[in-house]
Amino acid sequence: MEPSKAPQELLRVDKLRFYFGAHQVLKDVELPIWGNSITSLIGPSGCGKTTLLRCFNRMHDLYPNNHYEGRILMEGRNILDKNEDLIELRSQLGMVFQKPTPFPMSVYDNIAYGLKLKKITNKPLVRELVEKALRQANLWEEVKDRLRENALGLSGGQQQRLSIARSLAVSPAVLLFDEATSALDPISSAKIEEMMVELKKQVTMVVVTHNMQQAARVSDYTALMWLGELVEHGETTEIFTRPKKKMTERYVAGHFG
Amino acid sequence: MNTKKTANLIFFLMTGFGAASLVFMTAGILVTLVVESWPGIERFGVIKFLLSRDWNYAKESFGAARPLTGAILAAVMAVAMATPVALGVAIFLTELCPAKLKGSVALAIELLAAIPSVIYGLWGLFVLAPFLEKYFQPLVGKVLGDVPWIGGYFQTKMAGGLNLVTASMILGVMILPFIASLAREGFAQVPEALKESAYGLGATRWETIRAVVWPSAQKAVMGGIIMATGRALGETMAVAYVIGNRHGALESLFSPYVTVTSVIANEFNEAGPIQMSALFYLTLALFLANLLILSLAKRLLRRT
Repeated sequence: MEPSKAPQELLRVDKLRFYFGAHQVLKDVELPIWGNSITSLIGPSGCGKTTLLRCFNRMHDLYPNNHYEGRILMEGRNILDKNEDLIELRSQLGMVFQKPTPFPMSVYDNIAYGLKLKKITNKPLVRELVEKALRQANLWEEVKDRLRENALGLSGGQQQRLSIARSLAVSPAVLLFDEATSALDPISSAKIEEMMVELKKQVTMVVVTHNMQQAARVSDYTALMWLGELVEHGETTEIFTRPKKKMTERYVAGHFG
Repeated sequence: MNTKKTANLIFFLMTGFGAASLVFMTAGILVTLVVESWPGIERFGVIKFLLSRDWNYAKESFGAARPLTGAILAAVMAVAMATPVALGVAIFLTELCPAKLKGSVALAIELLAAIPSVIYGLWGLFVLAPFLEKYFQPLVGKVLGDVPWIGGYFQTKMAGGLNLVTASMILGVMILPFIASLAREGFAQVPEALKESAYGLGATRWETIRAVVWPSAQKAVMGGIIMATGRALGETMAVAYVIGNRHGALESLFSPYVTVTSVIANEFNEAGPIQMSALFYLTLALFLANLLILSLAKRLLRRT
């Protein structure tokens, strides 16, 4: 698929309100996510950025007493609809967590697992897709000789790239990163950032980060959240150099948060 | 010496005393068992005692083969019956149970562990055994009784419901809460993020349990099973009520039999000197068998 020149709106968050029980965490959030780009969600702890991220793949549905109001549109349909097929949705929107989450199985089986869920079992094809995913995650060279080893034996940085490769293998349209590099050393983080920029060709990314330099380095668009509200959203260079709101200016300058 | 150092020393002594007292108790039990069973060891030897099927009061000839077989068979059958149910309970509680119900189901299981074993024994004697005799044994005999080679073990050859199967069922109910609560702890320790990443790939609940929850909790479950085996081997009162206490060949799983603890409970009061020593010797054998199982299990757990 050739990425089109003009950015396409892949997702649109429309007047999204989210509640944990009676407690409202997201307040009328409006946000477009442009295709084949990286959007960073920044803001102080507790501002709702992770909560927003977890709305995209309906992770909140795993726990009781949550509810959504408003819409998130994807290709014209509201993915917050209660008839949405969550299994299908989650295979289209992969998620990478703060801590690496290798499954207790071999490196190879970790990647093949998602394919198995999608009923892709043709061995040569699986092998090909596993290698492709590991290459995309810049991990192939390091693990090609240890594919049968337990994934728990990899280093933290490798485990995180493995988690990313596992999500990529099922060719999702979107990858959601929840502070995916915050537990890693600078070199491992740099490798992942490099990989993310490469990946824009195939996948759209939404990235929650505490690290403002990271947001500035990798993302095309940045959204600042505060107390459950979206303060400002725009191209990353605009947000960091010519923010429209005073609060954004103060936040990116490090005055609070 | 400053106060910090003194406090440290006191703390060390207190915890050290606790740990040492356990070691001393175990060592003390072992020494007592060896001393008391010494006449038996001298008279029956080791290999001969373990392999001998004798239990003859007149000739004063005693062997451990039948009580040990009975104890091990009953324990293994109990574990085999309790484990699937316990796993179901544990998975239900951690992964499926609505939060409102969780507390009461967990409490019910913990309460099961608090019922005195004599109650289980009486229930087995008056309720379970007659029921099994009337409905279960004929059914099993009909279904499995004609299987070549092993069919005989499923036929009822001696009337009554007091037998090895009844004993292992009672044992199974008694160890169920142990396996269930240890397995539940194991399942509960699986990190939320690990489960979420399986869900995040589009896995269903069942697929997540199979790929992530179960493999991560396997060790804890094995630990629970081993602890339960140890308990089943040593359980006395309930078994003594329902095992039937017959020193005879085990022609069928539905035949009355003996276990180490049932023999001790039944015969300790009226045992002559050499019989008494044989009873201690039996206990020693069970003690060592348990030790063997525990150390094998530990090695197994370390390797995987």
